[in-house]
Amino acid sequence: MEKQKGVILNIGPVHPATHGVLKLIADLEGDTIDNIKVEIGFLHRGKEKMAEMRYFSNYYPIVDKLDYVSALQMEILFASVVEKAAGIEIPPRAVYIRTIMAEIQRIMSHLVFVGSFGMDVGNYTGFIWAFREREELMTVVEAISGGRLAPMYICNGGTFYDLPENFSYMLSPVLDRIEKKVKNEYATLFQKNNVFIMRSKSVGIIDKQLVKQLGITGPNMRAAGIERDIRRIDPYLAYEEMEFEVPTEEDGDAYSRFLIRIREIIESIKIIRQAMKKLPAGSYKKPVPWLLKIPAKYTLVRHEVSKGEMAMHMVTDGGMMPYRLKIRSPTFFSLKALEKVLVGSRIADIVAVIASIDPVMGEVDR
Amino acid sequence: MPSKVVDALKDSFKDNVTVLSDNGVEDVIVLSDKKLLKEAAKLIKKIHDIVFLITVVDRNPTFEIGYVFSNYVDKSILNLRVNIMQDDLSIDSITSVFPSADWEEREAYDMFGIKFNGHPSLKRILLPEDWPGHPLRKDFKVTDDVRNWTGLDLKF
Repeated sequence: MEKQKGVILNIGPVHPATHGVLKLIADLEGDTIDNIKVEIGFLHRGKEKMAEMRYFSNYYPIVDKLDYVSALQMEILFASVVEKAAGIEIPPRAVYIRTIMAEIQRIMSHLVFVGSFGMDVGNYTGFIWAFREREELMTVVEAISGGRLAPMYICNGGTFYDLPENFSYMLSPVLDRIEKKVKNEYATLFQKNNVFIMRSKSVGIIDKQLVKQLGITGPNMRAAGIERDIRRIDPYLAYEEMEFEVPTEEDGDAYSRFLIRIREIIESIKIIRQAMKKLPAGSYKKPVPWLLKIPAKYTLVRHEVSKGEMAMHMVTDGGMMPYRLKIRSPTFFSLKALEKVLVGSRIADIVAVIASIDPVMGEVDR
Repeated sequence: MPSKVVDALKDSFKDNVTVLSDNGVEDVIVLSDKKLLKEAAKLIKKIHDIVFLITVVDRNPTFEIGYVFSNYVDKSILNLRVNIMQDDLSIDSITSVFPSADWEEREAYDMFGIKFNGHPSLKRILLPEDWPGHPLRKDFKVTDDVRNWTGLDLKF
């Protein structure tokens, strides 16, 4: 008798567990996955084309929506590219403000990860708690910049506004509270929670070899035991003067990827505290003309954003707009790992593994 | 400090390689013949682990393909640029040497219509299968085909 063929299951693009509009096509045999394909592109908005039609100062609202849970880091990355290409030195206070904002944003992004990962493996309390902590930081960001999700705070030459005077009174208690919660409450909720550990431990193992094969970077890479961080090996902003650890885990499973983010939150808090202490006085912005002309050249800048090594490669031709802007998205590379690691696992693990990679489709599809 | 990988490339390809920058941190080289790309990739693989990104620049009538290679050890990167002409938009795929180039090459095909010979599945990645044209080309025009595209002809 001919062997009964399995079922093809379409997961997404609109499904709460796919974190946006990711589509998976799974070939099932029972509830085991024989083969799986990843489809992306449902959130493609043509941002690279849009860059070719806008002045260097007018592209910020668009980079904001690249990785919409870490918008400030996107703004800082684009500002760095333009400033490097145009040869603009920003004042030291602006460097420190940007460092603080980048780390606040990293904590917020990792809290979204913790929350949504928790929710996807059935820990709804984790979701509510993580978003509660994130909300406090959101309030701080709102007080600083006026925006919450898309702050529009960074501009060519520095930042749009100075930090408010009561800034450290606002931020310090929030950091203390988050540190306490992450170290104690989250440990009880996640690391000592048997159900959570059963759902995430030795699930979706991305080992060193696969990382190097696919070009995965960021926390997903560090979870596999490779110690590498652009902030450490090629310091930008004020990271050279900061003391922080680069956490690594050995196993490369979903649980290690979770632990890495938890430990990075603690490191980010450390960095913000140091930067607040060292925050230099002076100007927060170097006056830069709104319309810039940048000579013909290639500029490549890479930053360690919350998802990994993000880069922008800008080609200019002497005009007032980029001739070509290529955006390197870290998750674009990480997502391909799903096709490898999910083969042979159960349907229920799909959700846990997707969440552990932390995809934000805005940045993948651009 | 001159970089090892640039020296190795210069030794094997002699005049076919033009070195624009050789500081061991951000090396830039231009390969004059696209047929040598795969050989060059094999040499680069000894030092660099991944294709960090592929930037295609449309400089009508040439298309410039810029590969950026990176590794997991230090901060050094290598820019390798190859020019291809518009009447023959094809180049060897390097996915067999660098598996990380897979989706980047698909994206370049999607946005610029460059054929990567030997790519395992060269399909569109970000745009729908039946999208008219390659939008990141400089001569892309929003035609009626684009304006009236509904996606209803797609088969699921």
